[in-house]
Parts: sequence; C-alpha cells; structure tokens
Amino acid sequence: MTSELDLPAWSEPFVAGRRGGLVRLPPIGQLDRAWAWGGADGSGIRVAIVDSGVERAHPAIGGRLAESVRVELVEGEPRVLPDPDGIDVVGHGTACAGIVHALAPGAELVSIRVLGPENRGKGPVFAAGLAWAIEHGASVVNLSLSSKSDAMYAPFHELADEAYFANVLLVSAANNVPGPSYPSLFSSVVSVAAHDVPDAWTFFYNPRPPVEFGARGLDVPVAWKDGGRIVATGNSFAAPHIAGIATLICSKHPGATPFEVKTILAATANDPRGVDAGAGGR
Amino acid sequence: MSGDEAPPSAGDAPLTTGDDDRPPRDAGPAHDLGTVLLRAAAVRAEAARRILGEPLEALLRSIVDATAALFEAEAASIALFDPETNRLVFRIAAGDQGQGVVGQAIPIDQGVAGYVFSSGQAIALSDVAHDPRFAGQVAARTGYVPRSLLAVPLVDGDHTIGVLEVLDKRDAATFSLRDIELAGVFAGQAAVAINATRIERDTRSLLAAVLVELAGEALDRQSAEAAAEAVAAAATEDLDRGDDTRLWALAERVARLRRADPEQLELLAELLDVLVRRTEAGDWPRSGRRGLGRRAAASPVIDA
Repeated sequence: MTSELDLPAWSEPFVAGRRGGLVRLPPIGQLDRAWAWGGADGSGIRVAIVDSGVERAHPAIGGRLAESVRVELVEGEPRVLPDPDGIDVVGHGTACAGIVHALAPGAELVSIRVLGPENRGKGPVFAAGLAWAIEHGASVVNLSLSSKSDAMYAPFHELADEAYFANVLLVSAANNVPGPSYPSLFSSVVSVAAHDVPDAWTFFYNPRPPVEFGARGLDVPVAWKDGGRIVATGNSFAAPHIAGIATLICSKHPGATPFEVKTILAATANDPRGVDAGAGGR
Repeated sequence: MSGDEAPPSAGDAPLTTGDDDRPPRDAGPAHDLGTVLLRAAAVRAEAARRILGEPLEALLRSIVDATAALFEAEAASIALFDPETNRLVFRIAAGDQGQGVVGQAIPIDQGVAGYVFSSGQAIALSDVAHDPRFAGQVAARTGYVPRSLLAVPLVDGDHTIGVLEVLDKRDAATFSLRDIELAGVFAGQAAVAINATRIERDTRSLLAAVLVELAGEALDRQSAEAAAEAVAAAATEDLDRGDDTRLWALAERVARLRRADPEQLELLAELLDVLVRRTEAGDWPRSGRRGLGRRAAASPVIDA
C-alpha cells in the first residue's frame, strides 16, 4: 500500500481510503429541480451585491439587508468603509438585490457599493469590493458590472481564483459591448446574459462559453431608487436571477462548490426545445 | 543626442547649434532636438487649433442623428466623460425633446448614465414616468421624461469615454435585447471615431504618449501627463505673450525626464514630425476650448 507521504499532495483526495470524500452527488442525469433546490428559501446563505448600493428600506428587499459597505479611494488607495445608511445612488443595486430576494427570500443580503465618484479608481475600487465580499462570508456574489481595463485582468483573475478556492460563486453579467470584460469572461465565473422569456424560473445552459447561462433580462419589473419600481432590460438583470437560484442550491446543499453549483444549474436548466413564454416554473 | 543626428524629418524646426560635448543633463534646452521639436509641435498645434473649426461637434451631431434614425427614436444624446470635473457632460442631442439635456453635467456615480459609464453595462428602462420620484428627478434635470430609455457605454478598446442614450422608441413601448446589442455595436464604432478625433485634436495626448515611450518605466503616466500638460500650457501662453522663457524652462524639465536611446529618439522625431506636418498641412482640428493644457486629462492613456 502506498504511503500518503509518497503521493503528491494533489493526489491525496483521490486514493483508496480517501475517496469517500469525493462522494457528493447523484449522477448528473438524475438531477432535477426538486432535488436541486426544492423546499429551499436561501436560508443560511449570504449573497453579496457588488453594485450601486442597496436601499435598506425598499419593500423589495424585505428587510434582509444584513450589512452595507462602500469602497472609496483614500489617498489613491481603495478602502472599504461602513455604509450603515444602506443607500443606493442609482437604483440598479436595489433592482438586483430585489431579484435575488424574490427568488431566495431567506438569504441574507450584503451590499458593497463600488460606484465611486472618481473614474481613475473605478477598476481598483470594484476589485476591492469583490475582495471584501469574498473575505466576508458571502457564498454567492452578484456582479452586474465589469471592468474593460487591461490593467485589471490580473487582479480580477486572482480574485476569481480566490473566490473559487474559498467556495464563493461569482455570478457575473455578460457585457454586450465587444472587447475585454473582467471578470465576466473568466471560466470559474458564472457568466449570464438575458433571454426573452418573461419568467424568473426559466434559465438556459449554453455549452459554448464564455456566456454559459441565459436568464430573464427583458422587461423585468424591478425595484429602483427611492422606493420606486421600474421596468428594466439588460444582462444586468439576468445575472441576479441565476444568483438567486444558485443561492437556493447553496442553501439546500451547504458546502456545494462553485463548479458543483454550475453543474447543478446546467443539469436543471430548461430544455431549450419548446420553451414558450411563461413555461418555466420551479 | 546632438543636433546633427536630427533625421531629415525634422523639417524646418528651429534647431540651434550648441556645445555637443556637454552631457545632456547639463545641456541647455535649446540644444536638445527633442525639446525643440516638442516646442515647435506644441506651438504650431495650438496655432492651428485656434484657426480651424471644431470637427468633433460635427461628428457627435452625425452620431446622434444616425442613432435617432436607426432606432426610430424621439431623441438621442451623447455624454462624454470630462476628466477635469470627473463628470459626464451631455454634449449633444438629436430630437427637439432631447435638447434640454445638452450642457448638463452629472457625477459618474449617479443616475442611469453614471451607472452605465461606471459599470460598462448597457441597460434599458421603461415605465420611467410610472415612478413619480424617478420621473421627477429626470424631469428636473432635462425637462423631459421619456417613456423608455436605452443607455450604452461608448467604449473604444478598453477605455470608456462616455455614454450614448436613446430615448422613446416610436413604434414600441420598450427596447428589445436586439436593440441593446445593436446599440452596443453602434456605440463601439462611434467611440472609435470620437476617440480618433480627440486624439488628433489633442496634442497633449501625443506629447504624453511620447514622454512615456521615451522614459519607459522611469516615468509613470501621471508624471508624463503633467509634463506634457506643462509644455502644452506654456506653448499656449507664449503664443499670447510672444515670450518663450517659461516654455523653455518647462521643456527643459521634460528633457531631463528622458532616458532616450537613439531608437527612442527616432520614434520621438517621427511622431513629432507627423504632428508638425499635419499642422502645416492645415488639417489639424481645433479644440472647443482655449488652452492645450486644460485638455490633458482627455488623453486616452490615463483611463484606468
């Protein structure tokens, strides 16, 4: 019998006597939505919304905003500061949080406001906000924004890996504009674009990356600034639908890894053949 | 790095003779080819800038007109990022109803345009008027509440330079996913054109780029921007005062920042030669504002 010491460290989980730790899921063909998230409401899961802030008092949030911070440039360096008032400077972050809350009402929401007043620091501020989310107990992070700066490629790549290894699922809106878009184009990230079916539970898996999932993003009634509501269209609003469903999966299967959640999402996605408007349902 | 190494492309730049045995750091600024070219380019560019018209406005006009026509929309507008104030300034609008927005400046962390600019995400909103608070904010700003609104970032490469907005599609209550995609592609083309116009117009961009190129890692972009700005601002003042003293003092500092080897010097000469020829040919677009120095931050090289 091979001694553990003879094995490269990476092989340890795969050897006799250790492989029990690998048993997690039934084969993919047996996965369905009832198994994946039936009965779950997101309880026990923290979802981070990296965006324009989340309006604490908005009815669409249901009082589930547990923590609120903002990232600012202090002497050129991004710093994460408490933002206890829970405000949204645009309405967009509240829209995303509201979508997650509607799907996973038991989940705890955390807002990380990263829209700083300075263009110079927007990439680093965004990265600092994401880093904070990964370090502060979020299981799912909704990113309806991205950076087009080549200088941010490496920092975001590092953060995407950090998130993956810390069991934090990054759900990112795909960017419509051609060109680089970080971190939405990284493979460990769940990249989402909008479909045109008016149903929150309808989502599709696309086997051709980088944008692997399609979710509701056309004419979505969403929460907006100052307690308001609006109808919105964009990949921005598709991402939180997948974030919400992923939250349910994490809630029902604590400890599920990002790639397992991605696999469950792929296995439970709607059959693209014959989906009519409103044909979703959980 | 002496005057007699000047490539033929130096043209009629006012080269002066000097003591070639002195090390470059101690040499007077007038002895340095790069400095001479920088000065000549800055002065001529500013002179041309003041004489010629403003093609950027014409380009923006054609973009918003085409956008409104393409989407069959009531109005369209363009906001460009102004690095001096760190705001998005609505520069132009098509359609009678859109005119109220022109000249408005909004912080980049607020509003739909601010979000689209900062996040890089295209979004469309409808039922705007249904939400009295949101509609009120929009109306207070523009005097016009659209039923529907589509906003896409103007992205050239990895730089976002502004936001293109389309308001009130005539034949539909909302914008479709296809509209968003189309607008994204269209905005990409527009951004390339806008940036090209700005780069040609903006001597400081070129000066800063040259300085970074020359100094390599020894000079960060911010310092290069500052140096280029100083040279350009001085050129502007000197045109008014007919006095070269300040320009030379600043140009000397620029020269000191250099770590030029012959290859880099060649690049500098070539770039500046293009600049000089362009201004001499008389096709140098003019800035909307006086003073080269004030446009420094518009340089695409600093967008992070």
